[in-house]
Amino acid sequence: MTITTQTDTAHKVINMTTKSEETVIETKQLCREFGQGDTLVKALSDANITIERGEFTAIIGPSGSGKSTLLQLIGGLDNPSSGDVFLDKKNISHMTGTELSDFRRDHIGFIFQAYNLIPVLSARENIEYIMLLQGVSASERKKRVDMLMHAVGLEGLGDRRPAELSGGQQQRVAVARAMVSKPSIILADEPTANLDSKTGADLLDMMKDLNEQQNMTFVFSTHDPKIMERARRIIRLVDGCVVDDERKA
Amino acid sequence: MLTLTLAFRNILRNRRRSLLTLLSMGGGFFLLCLTLSMSEGSYSNIINIFTQDHTGHVQIHKENYLERPSLYKTINQSNAIIEKLEQQSSVLSVAPRIYGPSLAYGKNKTFPAQVIGIEPDREANTTRLKSKVKQGEYLTDGANNDGYYSAMIGYSLAKNLKLTVGDELVLISQGIDGSIANDIFIITALVGDASSYERMNVYISLTAMQMFLSMQSGEQSQVHELAIKLSHQGEARAFAMNMQIQLENSLLRVEPWQVVESSFFNSMQADKKGSYVSMGIIIFIVSIGVLNTILMGTLERTREFGVLKAIGARPTAVFYLIMLESFVLAIIACVIGLILSLPVCIWLASSGIPMPEPIDMGGIIFDTMLGEVSWFVVLLPTVVVILSTLLVSFIPAMRAAKISPLKALQAV
Ligand SMILES: Nc1ncnc2c1ncn2[C@@H]1O[C@H](COP(=O)(O)OP(=O)(O)O)[C@@H](O)[C@H]1O
Ligand SMILES: [Mg+2]
Repeated sequence: MTITTQTDTAHKVINMTTKSEETVIETKQLCREFGQGDTLVKALSDANITIERGEFTAIIGPSGSGKSTLLQLIGGLDNPSSGDVFLDKKNISHMTGTELSDFRRDHIGFIFQAYNLIPVLSARENIEYIMLLQGVSASERKKRVDMLMHAVGLEGLGDRRPAELSGGQQQRVAVARAMVSKPSIILADEPTANLDSKTGADLLDMMKDLNEQQNMTFVFSTHDPKIMERARRIIRLVDGCVVDDERKA
Repeated sequence: MLTLTLAFRNILRNRRRSLLTLLSMGGGFFLLCLTLSMSEGSYSNIINIFTQDHTGHVQIHKENYLERPSLYKTINQSNAIIEKLEQQSSVLSVAPRIYGPSLAYGKNKTFPAQVIGIEPDREANTTRLKSKVKQGEYLTDGANNDGYYSAMIGYSLAKNLKLTVGDELVLISQGIDGSIANDIFIITALVGDASSYERMNVYISLTAMQMFLSMQSGEQSQVHELAIKLSHQGEARAFAMNMQIQLENSLLRVEPWQVVESSFFNSMQADKKGSYVSMGIIIFIVSIGVLNTILMGTLERTREFGVLKAIGARPTAVFYLIMLESFVLAIIACVIGLILSLPVCIWLASSGIPMPEPIDMGGIIFDTMLGEVSWFVVLLPTVVVILSTLLVSFIPAMRAAKISPLKALQAV
């Protein structure tokens, strides 16, 4: 397949551009160190990772291998010691303050291990809040909340406070909250660690459905084999180094 | 709207703590409101009693008369001015006066006396002079059958001259035309007591005074002073300013009691500062309690602020959320405070508290402490409670706004 025609080249160029436009995340020589001298910890060393739109990626590795650190750097919650993070082609490594806040709001969805819903707001309000920060109109907010409550299978539970929901249900609200701002990527740091294995597997299946139906890009970390097997791409970290990056067919 | 909901629910989250804080803030409001009501009420009361003694709320003179009184500094065609003043809706009454320092002859003694020409009815409407008559009958206008005009004489002067009601009083002074003025008057009343303003005064009618001093009367009537009583003492300054413009007579000065009785006014202002100190202490104590609540409330929600910031809330959004919570808290506290204080203030304003011992200030007796209900009494505590709450919330709000989302998320 080495014969290239004029049209083929043109085709390839187009493919290249669309392909590169599809890149959501690109990290270059990404490093994060903690402490100094004797207590220096290299939490992440020279990570070069590219994530395309629509991927469903698991970051795996033992505890302390740097999974959280990587996700925090990608999500603009932390600044790297060196190297760069490009999110939607924008270098966010040196962003701070309001610029970074707004970037997180519009480009990134977070799902935390501990759900982290606002306890005084109902499920619906938790989902709605971020759109309020974005300045989305009330009717549009209602429409999107309805749609997402349906998508995460929580119809009829919208008026409940987080304390009135099970862990699995809370995490579904968190997924909906992460999706609602129409981010480029959703980052989930051990989203199933607080759930029993059945509930965790169900949550992952739901996330995978959203990934397939809505082409939403997910990156999640886990050390649970049952969870990681659902991913289509697995990045393995050991001691802050990427040791394996494998895509399933 | 959701932000307001969030603020409300955050307040409701720890009901007992919020309620205690609200009660302490509302209590602070109550104390402030009451202190203000009492001090404003007492001052109003003192001002009313004081201005109705003899000063009136506003006075008009020829320029410089107050600094250097003189027989020749007269207000001319005073009747026209009085008529104009009485047309003003805020004017209750106007009293014209003529002052003539004289020598008074008694049985076989002489004493200097301040002789004041007054219109008996107008004076009675403006000040309490009539009620201070101790013996005899209040002054009347005309002369008696023998052609003598009557005079009211101050208590101390009467005692010094050994005169009493029915006796003759001889006054000698200088007329406005330079002639020697002298005449005989019949004492019809003794006024005041040994400590009151009138003790060394002689009052005769304005007509008699104008004749005595050869001053113009009728159309061209000349007087030295116009004392004006308004419907409310608070209007004095504004009325004086307004009237000064309306009079279009650059030689006349319209001045409120604050200027006429500046030494009294200044000592009252100094006294007021004392009550501001006690109000400052109330504010301080309440603020500490509020600071405690806001600090605890923000500290235990550190993680939540981390979440808000992680999902994209700007630092300012977190700051405003906390300030909004404080503001809502302050508003509720003000409502509680108002509900507590209004009935008490209204009661204080209508009934007052009798003083254990009446206070005598230069012959003016105060025996009741009255409260006052006014916008000032209600609005000042409102502003103070809101501002001090926002002020103490500023530091916790800044702290939460600046927090790193990562650190906050790791907090328990
Ligand atoms: N704030 C921090 N200060 C010091 N060391 C840290 C900090 N955060 C993470 N580390 C260290 O960095 C390494 C990677 O941590 P982390 O990314 O949390 O691993 P994982 O999420 O895979 O368990 C660990 O050795 C951890 O102790
Ligand atoms: Mg981790």
